[in-house]
Amino acid sequence: MSTTLVLGSLAVVLAGPLPWGLSRWSGLRRTPAAAMLLWQSTALAAVLAALGAGVSLAAERLRAAPVTAMDVVVAALAGAVTLVVLVRLAVSGHRTGTALRRLRRAHRDRVDLVARVDRGVSVLEHEVPVAYCVPGMTGSRIVVSRSTLTTLAPAELAAVLEHERAHLRARHDLVLEAFTVLHRAFPRWVASAAARREVEVLVEVLADRAACRTGDRRALVSALLALAGAPTPAGSLGSAGSLAARVEVLRDPRPRRLQSAAVALLAAAILALPTLLVVVPWLTGLHGR
Amino acid sequence: MGELEQAVLEVLWEVESPASGREVHGRLAGRDLAYTTVTTVLDRLVRKDVVVRERDGRAFRYAPRRTRAAMTAELMHEALEATAADREQALVSFVGEASAEDLAALRRALDDLS
Repeated sequence: MSTTLVLGSLAVVLAGPLPWGLSRWSGLRRTPAAAMLLWQSTALAAVLAALGAGVSLAAERLRAAPVTAMDVVVAALAGAVTLVVLVRLAVSGHRTGTALRRLRRAHRDRVDLVARVDRGVSVLEHEVPVAYCVPGMTGSRIVVSRSTLTTLAPAELAAVLEHERAHLRARHDLVLEAFTVLHRAFPRWVASAAARREVEVLVEVLADRAACRTGDRRALVSALLALAGAPTPAGSLGSAGSLAARVEVLRDPRPRRLQSAAVALLAAAILALPTLLVVVPWLTGLHGR
Repeated sequence: MGELEQAVLEVLWEVESPASGREVHGRLAGRDLAYTTVTTVLDRLVRKDVVVRERDGRAFRYAPRRTRAAMTAELMHEALEATAADREQALVSFVGEASAEDLAALRRALDDLS
């Protein structure tokens, strides 16, 4: 019973209280790369632990010498729940992936038809300043409007473009997609919404950092101010809280090596836990025979 | 191919009334294209739903579904919508909508940096 119980509790902690707590620790964003690692390992470990708990419960019930009808029922139920988790993930992954690829391709095709390409950047003739990227395996685009080019100073524009290039280089779209898949598969009972929101903030913080590395921090902040002040259609909610968090991190770029190392270590430990819990009993079981 | 599609669509935007494949081909004479290349591109644009095709006797006439400005506006709308929370992150925007407090915080940060 012990392995199942431990894996089950681990899955619960990793899916609920831990992400809930992490999303409230705003200082975590000051080490964005390590924080990203921690969020990813927590999510992966939660899924592994949940699957491991189901499989281990079924195995324990069927291995004990006199297998009763009750044991078979419990094992079947555990197997069924594990299968449901897997199927939900697969379905959500497929739907999300297909929808995103379709939306992006449709948008990119039309951008290519109307935009003028200027030094690798697609320019839309419009008076509202925007800057965004269309990620994609086969061809990503960085898109700005004419007004962005005329409003921003060269250093500001360079910072914006470097920010977008960082998104594309690091494939932030895939990280966001993975957390969207999790959230769609398990929208309730687990802190998947908090996780996704936080990861959205982290990819922006990481891209901001990348832009500061090659350019001027002041230019990035003034570009944010210039583009954030742009009018947006009524009814669209901004990515809530993300801008405030970005400014907070941008104000203080001092490296936090200790926190970074500790968070990365925690990420590795969290991912190692369910693996060890599954592998070690199995190995000792082999030895016992 | 993308660049050629843009050129063909631009011809259709210029001519204002629905044009036949021959007319489009004629207007792109400087590019030395085969007529079939032009019709292939036109068909691709129809499949992408940016051009509509109507029968005219034994041939087809082609017209853009939207003006260039309308298509640009549509893309801008999608880009600005993408900043809305809880949507599929198809596009990744540099910055979303900002609250008054966000803007104030940005101004303070800018003052501190200068």
